[in-house]
Amino acid sequence: KLGHPSELPPEPAPDYEGDEPFLRRVHHVLLEVEVLEGVLQCPDSGRQFPISRGIPNMLLSEEEA
Amino acid sequence: NMAEAEAAGDAGVAPAPAPAPAPAEQGAELAAVIGATVPTGFELTAAAEVQEKLGSASRISRDRGKIYFEVPARGLPQVHRLRSVDNLFVVVQEFKDYQFKENKEDALKDLEDLVKKLPWTDPLKVWELNNSLKKKKTKRKKHNLQSTASKEKLNDNGEEEGTDQKDASEQEDCAQNAAGVEPASGQDTEKTQGVASRNGEEEEEEEDNEQSDAKDELQAGSGSETKAGDGKTSDGEAKVLKFRVTCNRAGDKHSFTSNEAARYFGGAVQEHFQWKADMTNFDVEVLLNIHNNEVVVGIALTEESLHRRNITHFGPTTLRSTLAYGMLRLCDPQPTDIIVDPMCGTGAIPIEGATEWPSCYHIAGDNNPQAVKRAANNICSLLKKNENKESSTSLGIPLDIIQWDICNLPLRTGSVDIIVTDMPFGKRIGSKKKNWDLYPACLMEMGRICTPGTGRAVLLTQDKKCFAKALSRMGHIWRKGQTVWVNVGGLHAAVYLLKRTWERAEEKRSFW
Repeated sequence: KLGHPSELPPEPAPDYEGDEPFLRRVHHVLLEVEVLEGVLQCPDSGRQFPISRGIPNMLLSEEEA
Repeated sequence: NMAEAEAAGDAGVAPAPAPAPAPAEQGAELAAVIGATVPTGFELTAAAEVQEKLGSASRISRDRGKIYFEVPARGLPQVHRLRSVDNLFVVVQEFKDYQFKENKEDALKDLEDLVKKLPWTDPLKVWELNNSLKKKKTKRKKHNLQSTASKEKLNDNGEEEGTDQKDASEQEDCAQNAAGVEPASGQDTEKTQGVASRNGEEEEEEEDNEQSDAKDELQAGSGSETKAGDGKTSDGEAKVLKFRVTCNRAGDKHSFTSNEAARYFGGAVQEHFQWKADMTNFDVEVLLNIHNNEVVVGIALTEESLHRRNITHFGPTTLRSTLAYGMLRLCDPQPTDIIVDPMCGTGAIPIEGATEWPSCYHIAGDNNPQAVKRAANNICSLLKKNENKESSTSLGIPLDIIQWDICNLPLRTGSVDIIVTDMPFGKRIGSKKKNWDLYPACLMEMGRICTPGTGRAVLLTQDKKCFAKALSRMGHIWRKGQTVWVNVGGLHAAVYLLKRTWERAEEKRSFW
């Protein structure tokens, strides 16, 4: 639901619920991978949000809000 | 969850008084009536948990914040794992309608005489059993217990570290620990429960992170520095037990103070058992709870409150986990629900959530970098605790932390099932004026992210006026459900259950 860029396909296939390898990869990314340092990128605007020590900072600047 | 609570209530709230179980006959199993203190207002929730996990029905006493239930003694470990209880004690005897003599001396003499008539045997066996459970845990703790004594004090300002600690008087309830100290004579006093375990180590990591259980926390005196309670208490001659009596008294018709009651009762206990009285390093804590004509004599089974169990890194307004648990339970979380705390502080609620409802996904956020850091540290402590010793990998926890702004949440519209949070009170953090602006904005944004129709929110706040006003303008988004009146750190607060209406929120998020 949050959207997270990864080596998954850009969109889930129509019948993804039955596709077990796909589900495993999604599960892995969602629940087993922890990004400690990095970036979250908004798929629409491209705006990047830093991740530091596992915590993304998604505060907007004055202009953005 | 209302239905569940009602069922438990119906099953549990028995009008007839329940006497203490008869002493175990030969070969019969040892059973106990356990009294548990719970956050006031959440008695039904606690009763539901007891029913669910122990299969026992509970009675809720008129002395608020307490429930009673019967369990076999072998069920004690499960009792300690209850998430909605602060403190536990084994009931020696309950009197539903004790007639106090009007004359003070007579009333106190009656209390004295009562001691030798009480059925102490089985409760003491339960206490012993409980002790041996505690010892198994303490052995694994390598923590330094030096600050123990000060934890018992009413105002342990001295133990606080960190510049952002507020005044201790605003902190959560500390116990009245002296035998029978009571603030006002004759007034209907709201009694605080148990010993608040304030972890004074603000920034330090706990060595041993078994935080799930009161017994893991620093023991008040048993078994540490003074050897009280150490060793073989089952073998009576080995040593003389130390005890103290704690009396809580409420009601305006008593001719005596709790101090006096404790003293007289304590004197008789000392006489009867030949124990030694010791205020700070006691083995046995005898409880004398007097609420109008309801008298309960018990023996404490917990020394420090269970409610701080998940938190090793405190902030100035950390919510106790029993309250967090109660709030979460009110939402009736279902597997796969997305649960968000958008003002998580040090993470008490999401941590409790992820622990008890692991098949839900929990997201916590706060705008304050300190809070977020502490919350992350608390989660790390939890992860370490879950570490698999052999493989040294730890099972993940379905919980993530983000630094964000409550008014601009990076979450899709209608994607969150449950919102649970402790809203700023404006007393310890922020200000009342800020709340006037903040509350409507919060409710709006929370309304946006919450799933229409099935979504719900449980919000704790002390600023009830401001909340009511903000809510009055949001009738198209939020429908008010149950309200639970609670006491948080001496402040009268309310927990509001809100249901999200079917109306979809407008897509005003142009940025996201």
